[in-house]
Amino acid sequence: MNRLLKNSNKYFFHSIYIEEGALNYPITKNIIEKYCNSNLIIIKHYKDVFNRTNQNFSVQKQNQSLILAVKSKPFVYNGPDVCQNFGYSNFYYTSFLLNCIFDCEYCYLQGMYPSSNIVAFVNIEDFKSEIKYITSKESVFLAASYDTDLIAFHNIVPYLDYFYDFFKSLPNLLVEVRTKSANESFYKTHKAIDNLIVAFTLSPDEIIKKYERSTPSLDARIKAAKTAISMGFKVRICLDPIFVGPDVDSFYEPFYNYLFSQINPNDILDIGYGFFRMSKDFFKRIEKIRPNSLLFCDDYSLKDGVLSYPSNLQEKIMKKHYEILTKYINEDKIFSL
Amino acid sequence: MVFIVTALMLEASPLIEYFSLKKDMKINNYQVYKNSDIALVISGVGKIKSAMAAIYLLSTFKSKKEDILINIGFCGTNSLKYALGELIAINKVKDMDTGKDYYPDVYFGKNIPKETLCCSSKPIFKEDYKEDKDMLFDMESVGIMEAGQKFLYTHNTVILKIISDFLTPKDLDKEMLKDYIKNNIPYIVEIIDELKNLNDSSKISFEEEERAVNLLCESLNFTEAMKKMLFKEVKKSKLKGLEPLNILNDFSCREVKIKKEGKRVFEQIIEKLK
Ligand code: SF4
Repeated sequence: MNRLLKNSNKYFFHSIYIEEGALNYPITKNIIEKYCNSNLIIIKHYKDVFNRTNQNFSVQKQNQSLILAVKSKPFVYNGPDVCQNFGYSNFYYTSFLLNCIFDCEYCYLQGMYPSSNIVAFVNIEDFKSEIKYITSKESVFLAASYDTDLIAFHNIVPYLDYFYDFFKSLPNLLVEVRTKSANESFYKTHKAIDNLIVAFTLSPDEIIKKYERSTPSLDARIKAAKTAISMGFKVRICLDPIFVGPDVDSFYEPFYNYLFSQINPNDILDIGYGFFRMSKDFFKRIEKIRPNSLLFCDDYSLKDGVLSYPSNLQEKIMKKHYEILTKYINEDKIFSL
Repeated sequence: MVFIVTALMLEASPLIEYFSLKKDMKINNYQVYKNSDIALVISGVGKIKSAMAAIYLLSTFKSKKEDILINIGFCGTNSLKYALGELIAINKVKDMDTGKDYYPDVYFGKNIPKETLCCSSKPIFKEDYKEDKDMLFDMESVGIMEAGQKFLYTHNTVILKIISDFLTPKDLDKEMLKDYIKNNIPYIVEIIDELKNLNDSSKISFEEEERAVNLLCESLNFTEAMKKMLFKEVKKSKLKGLEPLNILNDFSCREVKIKKEGKRVFEQIIEKLK
């Protein structure tokens, strides 16, 4: 069970900061009601708290606070090159949340944001207007949970409930929600819709224990994925990030075999496959704030400002992995970067 | 190190006594009292004085981001929620002159009330505050926040206020005020411990290894680039649970006369560290 949910059925934030302008939104009212015993602090703008200099990301992560804020434009961004677009050229992403309740050692958000507190935007109607506008001009692939885990946050703010009818009403829109969460409530309470893909990020249990602190186990994630499949949701499997090294290489073959003994490959939409990679600037920042991390002590090769494993090594490992994966699933259903 | 700033001697003296702090006779600009772990300065009243004294302390003692800066002092309030002598941890400071807000992270004192504090440049009397809102007032916190945010991690700047009066800040009984501080010392000690644990839990120290690498690189004439690589390997080795200091030690008596030989020794050390 996630660290933030233990000891209580209620999620407990260290403090809840609320922008003056966010006070009258329904999400804010719900949160205040739900966490009436929390430490509530009224602020002028979320950046006054979120962007303070000299915040210690890891100390803060152990004492995570929630910040409720009103987002200003833009609400939707063009997808970056380091992310998979699954063949869609009109690839966008949006962030209802900044940061995540999980604490993966490799998470690039540590290098991107000055704070590990979670910002939740409450003006969902403004997001809807902009999404509606871009889909009125073209067909769009929208990643709605790239920089966070919306499903893991579902018990705190059920964004997917709020957007369900809206997504359903836009035939020009294909939405992907990526998750490591074992929370099944959304799949159990909503009918599957054609233009929503739930993408489960899975890794060998050894990798989960090593790098994905406070996330659910592999079995718990597989169980959630099976529930989503059984309820008719389109399910994608994300094998991302893949790690390479003598200490981890042997984990993958048994993992793939186990995964496909549990999930029928014909039941999934496709697979996203990608190696550990990170922009050089983020990497350098994380190296400083995670001095105890072996992952950030290693040498990687630099290409176009992105650090990753050398390409010949990637090719070699990928070939090995594909040999196993293609026993179960057709190569044209495997998308890699 | 723990740095404490109080505005008045009255606020400082129970702390000086409890922590057995000795006056630093080498410092003339301020009254500084210290032991091996704590340094306390008496700043005088007002946010400029508190900022100056805090920065003086942080620079004189070469503070690190993991050090702790605590402002301990009195505040007045119009709220009847609190009793005289009660300790409050501040989670928001409002500068009444500029309207700017500061947000100290308060990761300690679970059972201590947390409040917003208004910092004013002059004493606030009942008749000065017309708003219908419960509020605390002091005169130093903004200066502490400004100083702390430049030097330390945000969670290490701490504002602790003790209620001294209900906006009648004149002719207060000095002995009673001292007792308010004395009575809260157990909480203050607990807060300091909590903050120290928080800072210790977030890091493995590589100080010893860094020193050893520096010494070795100097004696073996390694270049800066080699030093950087060596330190990285030493770090990795320690994180893997090995003992890189022993390995560095084995090479400390080596002598290197020519560059080529240096390179070979360097490679040997790296090999051993893996
Ligand atoms: S689940 Fe994703 S967003 Fe959350 S911490 Fe892990 S990598 Fe980051």
